Amino acid sequence: MGISLSLLKRTAVEVETFVQRLDGRVKFLYFIWASILVYIFYDFILNLIFIIVTLLLAIYARVAKPIAMTLLVIIVPWIAIATPILSLPLGFPWNKTIIYYIKFAGYEIPVYLEGLGWGITWPLRIGVCISTAMLFYLTTNQARLVATMFKMKVPFRFIYMLIATFQLIPLLVDEANTIFQAQLSRGLRTDVGIIKKLYYYLALVIPLTLSALNRVQIRAIALESRGFSAPVTKTLMYEAEFKWMDWIFLSTIIVATIVLAYVYITYGYSPIAGLEYIWG
Amino acid sequence: MGEAVVKVENLTYSYPRRENVLVNVSFEVKKGEVLGIIGPNGAGKSTLCKALNGLVPHFYGGRIGGKVVVAGMDTMKHTVAELSTKVGLVFQDPEDQMSGLALTVYEEVAFGLMMLGFPREEIDARVRDAIKKVGLGGLEGRSPFELSGGQMQRLAIATVLAIKPEILVLDEPTAQLDPIGKFEVFSVIKKLAEEGSTIVVVEHEIEELATFADNILLLDEGRVRAYGSAREVLEKVDQLRKYGVDPPSVTELTYILNKEVGTDFEIPITIEEAYKIYAEALGVS
Amino acid sequence: MPEEATVETVEVTPTGAKILAVVMIPTIAALNYVGGVLVEMLKAPIWGDTWATMLGTLISGFVVGAAGGFLYNIIMAFTVWGLPNWVWGFANVAIALITWFMMKMGWTDLKKPMTYIMAIILFGFIYPIFTTAISIGLFGGGPLWKPLPAAIYAAVLSSTGNFWLANYIQNVSTEVPDKVISYIISLIIASRVPKRFILAK
Ligand SMILES: Nc1ncnc2c1ncn2[C@@H]1O[C@H](COP(=O)(O)OP(=O)(O)OP(=O)(O)O)[C@@H](O)[C@H]1O
Ligand SMILES: [Mg+2]
Repeated sequence: MGISLSLLKRTAVEVETFVQRLDGRVKFLYFIWASILVYIFYDFILNLIFIIVTLLLAIYARVAKPIAMTLLVIIVPWIAIATPILSLPLGFPWNKTIIYYIKFAGYEIPVYLEGLGWGITWPLRIGVCISTAMLFYLTTNQARLVATMFKMKVPFRFIYMLIATFQLIPLLVDEANTIFQAQLSRGLRTDVGIIKKLYYYLALVIPLTLSALNRVQIRAIALESRGFSAPVTKTLMYEAEFKWMDWIFLSTIIVATIVLAYVYITYGYSPIAGLEYIWG
Repeated sequence: MGEAVVKVENLTYSYPRRENVLVNVSFEVKKGEVLGIIGPNGAGKSTLCKALNGLVPHFYGGRIGGKVVVAGMDTMKHTVAELSTKVGLVFQDPEDQMSGLALTVYEEVAFGLMMLGFPREEIDARVRDAIKKVGLGGLEGRSPFELSGGQMQRLAIATVLAIKPEILVLDEPTAQLDPIGKFEVFSVIKKLAEEGSTIVVVEHEIEELATFADNILLLDEGRVRAYGSAREVLEKVDQLRKYGVDPPSVTELTYILNKEVGTDFEIPITIEEAYKIYAEALGVS
Repeated sequence: MPEEATVETVEVTPTGAKILAVVMIPTIAALNYVGGVLVEMLKAPIWGDTWATMLGTLISGFVVGAAGGFLYNIIMAFTVWGLPNWVWGFANVAIALITWFMMKMGWTDLKKPMTYIMAIILFGFIYPIFTTAISIGLFGGGPLWKPLPAAIYAAVLSSTGNFWLANYIQNVSTEVPDKVISYIISLIIASRVPKRFILAK
């Protein structure tokens, strides 16, 4: 959870490159667009290209480390577990093309293309979705995020709930840490049996929850007292506006879409890797 | 002193789950006046504060009787959002009052104005002004959650000052703070009082309250047990004790001396007054 | 104390529920998150990130519980899990729905065996049908990247050759302990929550 918390903690000071300056809506579109495309195509090399482009943008924007870390933690182990289970003769029902034999203890164990392709393509699909989403999130600061959603006509209440969660999580994690340390000094241990662990879990979670709920009412009152429900258009201190950079990026996406549409029509859903789509 | 900014007449209120939390409460606060509210735990002090900006009864529901008029607005006929431009409410725990949307002190102060739809230039001017007033100049870019307790509570005060309410209502603003924090916050309140702000403040630190409150209201079980100038209320030591409120120690000391030793001192309510009275009696002035 | 209520009083309907929900929903979302963090700290054998959804439903009703769970998933999808994972938000809605149903049916008493039986059936076996559909449709239906469920997946797949069954059994194996324990946790906490916080009817 270490990285994920540092991802949620946001600060006001940060680097500014053209990626950060891109309008939030454009980056949001990029991530939706890329995510949809990798589901339309079934091609791990195309997926890899998307990931590389995204990582290059991320390197330029100096946010590559958390994205690479997340891919390493989620996608790499996933491929490592999925490919052997699916590509070896363990029952994956669509396996038919043998591409290799592993010699092991006198046996020749076949490796199937279908399972292998599946085990690589799917995690990489998710990898594209993760990296593009993170690029959007990590390079769009809170003011811009709020402005982006505001421009997309998201009701202010929803914008508030989303942002408030980001602020609440670190506060609650700090509190959880405090309670955890206190319970440690009162004899809590982590090397115990399952039942005992669950008992400890309750001992941590109950005080935390009650204190959080205690605060809900006063927070609600404080918001109400500050005019949250006033039936007026809220003023934002930052306004989202398209600049020439945004139009260029947008045009690139459109051109790429046209090219990929042509590729799909001419070469099918797996133009580079040449995989067979299996189920359905 | 001018017209009444707050006028409460026979206010009687029950929460949906609790009867008669306020019973026949009446008082008024004139422009530029400071009213201190004291009383034991559960007396209904916070409820009374919430009645001033309409949270009671609108937010909670319940049964209400009597009348509360703030800055010419009957709280029954206006929403909390409308009243929020007239009444600035500050609570005990500063952390719980943070908007949850702001990353910096500046944004936190701007929040209320943003919610009320003020134009951007005006927000900027008011925010800078409010931050300066509470002495947080230079910390505009800090995260609110990195501030000390006293700073955070001053920030909470700034958030309501920015709205320029006609009256400031502070509910135990120093209760959660360490001595330094208390000192910082009291300094701000005293400064605001001197500059002529109209303030209602619930406060347990009675020695401090005595130094800046014009009037005091003693609340107990939802009823007004005493109401008058700070002196009138605080010198009735027996009465205060009966309702579980500790009088200022100089007041209590003098009261005991008068009663037990038979001296005939004037009853002081602040240290400064006590110093004068005793210095005179001892002939050292 | 003599009652001196002499003034006429009127009943006022509260308007606070809406704004309370606005604060309650992020709190539920954050508690889901922290629930997961504490599991990591203790290395407990559950996911631990849904009991807050259940708790939210128990104390503030279906909408708040479901929205809190959904929001948690959206945020995780945007930060660490990747876009398609926002679909799990619907899984949280399903959890809120099941919790709400259990509440309506009165299966909330931890002293009654019925509570456990229904929790195991609904959370352990019915709910995984839903998650299986999601994990196949959007994630390709491969093994999970935790060793134990992955081993179960491989075992079922190699013994039956049934892809869907392997996915379903894999999900059942993680959901039965996790969701049933989470439900118990949420019931225990809900029983300790002061009445004035309880908005659900
Ligand atoms: N939302 C609520 N619903 C029902 N009863 C409440 C609610 N809030 C407060 N009360 C009750 O109303 C009474 C007055 O509470 P209030 O908070 O106004 O007292 P207080 O004088 O501010 O006390 P303290 O010194 O502890 O802050 C108490 O008995 C309290 O339990
Ligand atoms: Mg109070």
